[in-house]
Amino acid sequence: MPTSAVEPLLDVVGLSAGYGKIGILHGVDLTVGANEVVAVLGPNGAGKTTLLRAVSGLLPWSGSVCFAGRDLAGAGPRDTVQAGLAHVIEGHRVFTQLTVLDNLLLAIYDLPRGERTARGEEALALFPEIAAKRHERAGSLSGGQQQILAVAQGLVRRPRLLMLDEPSAGLSPALVNRVLVVVERLREAGTAVLLVEQLIEKALALADRVYALARGSIVLEARTGEADLPHRLEHAYLATANRQP
Amino acid sequence: MVESIVSTGLAIGCIYALIGITYNVMFSASRVFSFTAGTLGMLGGVLGSLFIARMGMPVAVGFLLALAGGAVLGIVTEIVAVRPVLKSLDQHLYVLSTLALALMIQQFTAIEWSTEPQPFPRLFDIARGGFDQQYWLPMLACAVVIVGLELLYRHTLIGRAFLAIAEDTYAARALGLPERGLRLASFALAGVIGALAGFAGGEMLLAFFANAPMLTFYGFVPVALGGMGNNRGAVVAGLLLGLFQQAANFLVGGIFASVAVFTVFIIVLMACPEGLAGAALQRRV
Amino acid sequence: MMDTPAARLRPGRADVQASTSTIGAALPFLALLLLGVTFPLFGGGYWGVIATRACVYWVLVSGLNLVVGFAGQIAIGWVALLTLGAYTTSVLAAGNVMPELPPYLALAIAAVAGAAFGLIIGLPALRLRTFYFAITTVGFATIVTQVALAWQSVTGGGVGVPGPIFPEPFSSQWGFYYFCFSLAVICTWMTANVAASRFGRALTAIRDAEVAAEACGIAKPALLATVFLFSGAVAAMAGGLFAALQSYITPDAFTLDLSILFFIAILIGGRGSILGPLLATILLTALPEFAAPLVAWSTFLYAALLLVIVLAAPGGIAEILDFKNRRPLESNRAIIPRPDLVGRLLSAPVDAGALTLEQVALSFGGVHAIDGLDLEIRRGQVHGLIGPNGSGKTTALNVISGYYVQERGAVKLNGAALPLFARHRRAHMRIARTFQTPRVVGSASVLENVMIGGTIDGKGTFVESLLSLPRHRRDEAKLRDTAMLALAAVGLERLARVRVDRLQHSELRFTEIARALMLHPAFLLLDEPAAGLSADEIGRLAALLAAIAKTGTGVLLVEHHADLIFDICQHVTVLNLGRVLATGTPAEIRSHREVVHAYLGG
Repeated sequence: MPTSAVEPLLDVVGLSAGYGKIGILHGVDLTVGANEVVAVLGPNGAGKTTLLRAVSGLLPWSGSVCFAGRDLAGAGPRDTVQAGLAHVIEGHRVFTQLTVLDNLLLAIYDLPRGERTARGEEALALFPEIAAKRHERAGSLSGGQQQILAVAQGLVRRPRLLMLDEPSAGLSPALVNRVLVVVERLREAGTAVLLVEQLIEKALALADRVYALARGSIVLEARTGEADLPHRLEHAYLATANRQP
Repeated sequence: MVESIVSTGLAIGCIYALIGITYNVMFSASRVFSFTAGTLGMLGGVLGSLFIARMGMPVAVGFLLALAGGAVLGIVTEIVAVRPVLKSLDQHLYVLSTLALALMIQQFTAIEWSTEPQPFPRLFDIARGGFDQQYWLPMLACAVVIVGLELLYRHTLIGRAFLAIAEDTYAARALGLPERGLRLASFALAGVIGALAGFAGGEMLLAFFANAPMLTFYGFVPVALGGMGNNRGAVVAGLLLGLFQQAANFLVGGIFASVAVFTVFIIVLMACPEGLAGAALQRRV
Repeated sequence: MMDTPAARLRPGRADVQASTSTIGAALPFLALLLLGVTFPLFGGGYWGVIATRACVYWVLVSGLNLVVGFAGQIAIGWVALLTLGAYTTSVLAAGNVMPELPPYLALAIAAVAGAAFGLIIGLPALRLRTFYFAITTVGFATIVTQVALAWQSVTGGGVGVPGPIFPEPFSSQWGFYYFCFSLAVICTWMTANVAASRFGRALTAIRDAEVAAEACGIAKPALLATVFLFSGAVAAMAGGLFAALQSYITPDAFTLDLSILFFIAILIGGRGSILGPLLATILLTALPEFAAPLVAWSTFLYAALLLVIVLAAPGGIAEILDFKNRRPLESNRAIIPRPDLVGRLLSAPVDAGALTLEQVALSFGGVHAIDGLDLEIRRGQVHGLIGPNGSGKTTALNVISGYYVQERGAVKLNGAALPLFARHRRAHMRIARTFQTPRVVGSASVLENVMIGGTIDGKGTFVESLLSLPRHRRDEAKLRDTAMLALAAVGLERLARVRVDRLQHSELRFTEIARALMLHPAFLLLDEPAAGLSADEIGRLAALLAAIAKTGTGVLLVEHHADLIFDICQHVTVLNLGRVLATGTPAEIRSHREVVHAYLGG
C-alpha cells in the first residue's frame, strides 16, 4: 500500500539570510510537521535566532519558505502571524509599561473586541502565575514570569506553529521546567513547536526531532531517540576546518 | 499688571507645551525629532485665518479643516521625511529631511499667504477684556489634549499600541502589530495637536509665517527640559517657560527677554542634558 | 622575493596611481581658479557683485565645512558669526566706540572674536544630542541679531552702521573682488590641506565611527574645539568682508535664511569634500540671480534641493562627481594576507610585559556580566577567550579597552593600573582593538580608513597641516607608506583607493585589523573577527594572527569559532556566567568535560 507523503507544516529549502553585508545562514533546509516538536541546537553565532527571524519575516531572506502550503516570499511579520505562525522572540521582551492583560491583547490586535477578551482569558487560564497579575504592569513581573507572558502572547493567537527563541535563557531551572511543561502540553493540544535552545538535554527530552546548526548550515539532523546523539552533536559543533560542508 | 503677565504667560506657555507634545508624539513613534512641529503650529493659525476670515467659513468648519490640514502635514512628514531615512544608518539625515520640509512649507506660506502677520478671527462673539478668550482658548486646548491623550493611552487599544511601539519597536513588529500604520497614525495625531496649538493661539500669535521658526525653538524647550517623550514634563516646562518669558518681557523689554530666556535655557540644558526630570522619569505618556 | 630593509613594496604602481589621482583632484580647483582670476574680463559689474558675494560666502562656508561636513555637527545657526564679524569690523573701523582702527586690523580683531565665539557656540556639541545642538545654534543666531538690534549705542540698532572701506587697491569693485577672491583661494587651500591631513580624517572618524575613533586615540573635545576656533575665525572674517561689500549693514541682513543657505550648501555639496561645497556655494549664490521670481523662492528652492539630496543622493554633488568610485570592482576578489610583511610592519621594539585583569567585576542592572575575573594576556601569545552567550567575553574585552568601567578589580599593564574613564588613552598605551560590527568611515577610501589608525603618531600640529608645512608633509608620507604596508600585510592593497562602503563584509574585517596594526600594538584585542568569514578566509586570518603574535604582540581573541581558537591559540580561557570556568592549553580545554557542556550550553 503506498504511503501518502504528509506535507510538512513548515518547509524551508535553501534558506539564506543575514544582516546587511554579513551572511549568517547559507542554504538551510528544515521541516516541521503538523504535530511535531522540533529543536534547533547549535553554538552561539551559528544563526539560530537569524533562522527564526527569517521564517517569521523580520529579516529579508532568499530561498523558499512554505507554511501550511502557502509561500511566504515577501511576507512580513504581520502576514506570518495572521497565517498562524507565532514567533516568541529572544530575551522575554514584553511591554513593561503596559499591563499583563494589555500585553496579551496587543498580540491579538486585529481581532474583534469581543473575541479579544475571550481569547485573553483563555491564554491566562493556561498560566495561573501571571493570571493573578493581569492588571499589574509587566515591568513588575520577574524574568521568568515575563518569559511566560511572552509565550502566552504567542499562544493567544492559537497558532499552528509556535517558534520559541531560547525560552530558557536567563531563567532558573525551576522556571525552565515550567516553560517546557507548557511546550509539552502544546504538542498534545496539536500545536507544532519549533524550539531554539541552548540546553541540549532539556531540548532532547522534549523534541521529536533535532537539527544542529553550526556556522550557518545544518550539520546534523536526527530523531531524538537515536543512539549516541549527544556525542554526535558535540562532534558536529567542534568540527575542525576539514569537516566544513 | 501681574495678572496680565500670568494670563499671557500661561496662555503662551500652553501653546509651547502643545508644540512640545507634538514633538514628543512624533518622537515616541519614530525616535526622530522633526523640525515640522513648529511649522504645524504656524499652519494652525494660518489655515484658521484662511478658512474663517478670508474664505468666510463657519468657525467650526474652519476649525476642523485646519486640524485636517495638520493631520495631512503630519502624514506627509512621515512619508516624505521620516520613513525613507529610518532605514538608513546615518543618524543625521532625518534632521535634514524634516528641516528641508519645514523650510519649504514656511517659505511657501510666506510667499503665497503673506510675509506680514495677518489677523486671526475672533472665534467666539464675546466682548473683549477680563479673562479673554485669547488667553483661555490655548489653556483649554492644552487641557483637552492632555485629557485626550490620557484617555487614548489608557483606554483604547490603539493608544496602548502607540505605547508599545514607543517602548520596543522590534518586539511590536514581531508580535504582528501594524507598525507602519501605527506610526503614520501617530504622525497624523501629532499634526492635529500642532495645528490645534496654532489655531487656539491664533489670536495671540496672529497668522504669520515667521511663527514657525519661533515655535520650532520655543516649542522644543519644553521637550529638552521636560525630558524626551515626557508629555507631563513638557507641560510643566512649557508653562514655566511662558511665565518666565512674559516676566522677562515686562522687566527688561522684548529683545533682552529673548536673550534672557535663551541664556537660561542653554545653561540649564548644559547642566542637565537629559532634562530637569533626568533619568528618574522613565515613563513616557 | 628578496626584500631589503629599505625596499618598499611594488614601488611605482601605487605611487603613479597616487600622483595621477592628485592631479585629477586638483584639476577642478585649477579650473575654478582660472575662472575666478579672469572673471573681470567677461563678467559685468552686476555679476561682479555676485561673484564677490560668492567668494565671501565661501570664506565662511569653507570653515563651516570642517564643522558640518567633516565633524558632522549640525550647526545651523552659523550666521551668528557672520553678524558678529560684520559688526565688529564695522564698528572698529568706523570709530564709534574707540578711535578708528585700520580695516585690516579691525578684520583681524573680528577674526579673533569670531574664534572665541565659535568655540562658545560649538561647546554644547560635546554635551548635547544632535537635534538639541542644532536648536541651540539657531538660538545663538537669533540672540546675536537681537543684541545687534538692541545695543544701539554701539551697533546703531535698527539703523545700522556703515561697513568698513578697505584702502587702495581694494576700494574699487574689482579690487575688492580680487581681495575676497584671494582670501577664498587661501581658505580653499587651507581647508583642503586639513582634509588631507590626519586631523581631517580624524574628524570624519568622529562623525561616522566615533567609537572606533576613540579606540584609535582620537580625542574628540580637543579636535572639535580646534575646528570651532578656526571656523569661527574665518566666519567672522567673512562677516567683515560682507559688511564691506554691503557698504552698510543692518540687523535684518543677517537672517536665518542666510544661515540655512550656508548649511545647505555643505550638505548639497557633500560631506567630507571641499570641491562639492565650493561648487554648491557658487551655485546657491548665483541661482537666484538668474530670474527675478527665483529670488523670492530661493530659500524654498534650497530646501527642496536639500530634500532631494537627502532622499536621492545623500553624498551630494561630491558623490555624483565621484566617477572613480563607480568603476566596477572585480567580482571574485580574494583577500590574501602576507604574514611575512607583518614583521616589517611591527618591527618597532617594545618592552615586555603582560596585560592583566585582576578580580574584575561589572554588573548591568543587577546581572553580573563579569564576576571576579582573572585574566593574563602575555606578549607574543595568542590567548583565546570563549564561552556561551552571556558569559562575559565581550564585556571583558570592553573593560580592557576602556569602554566599560569595572566596579571592582583592576586592569593592569606591566603591573600598573590603567586609568579609568580615558578610553582614548588606550591607543597611546599601544592597546588596539577591532569591533564585532566593523566601524569604519563608509565614504572614505580603504587607505584613508587605515591611516586613521595612525593618527596619534603624527607630530605636526593643526596649524602646520593648515599651512602644509614640511612636518605635516613628512607625517603624511610616512603615514601613507605605513598604511600601504599594513594593507599589503592583510592582503587588501589592491583595494586601497576604493570607498569602504563598497567592500564586502570580510574585507571590512581585514581593514579593521590593518587599522589596528597601525598603532604597532603591544596588545591586539579582537572581537569575533571570524564572524561572517568563509572557511578559506578564516584560515588566512589564522595565519595572519599567528604572524602578528610572533612579532611579540599579545593577541586576545574573543571568538565563537572553535576551530580558529584551537588552531592558533597558545592559551585558552573559558568563561561562563561571568567567571572563569577553565584556563589552559587548547588540548586541555578541549577535553575538559565541563567546558564542553558549558560551551554547548548543557
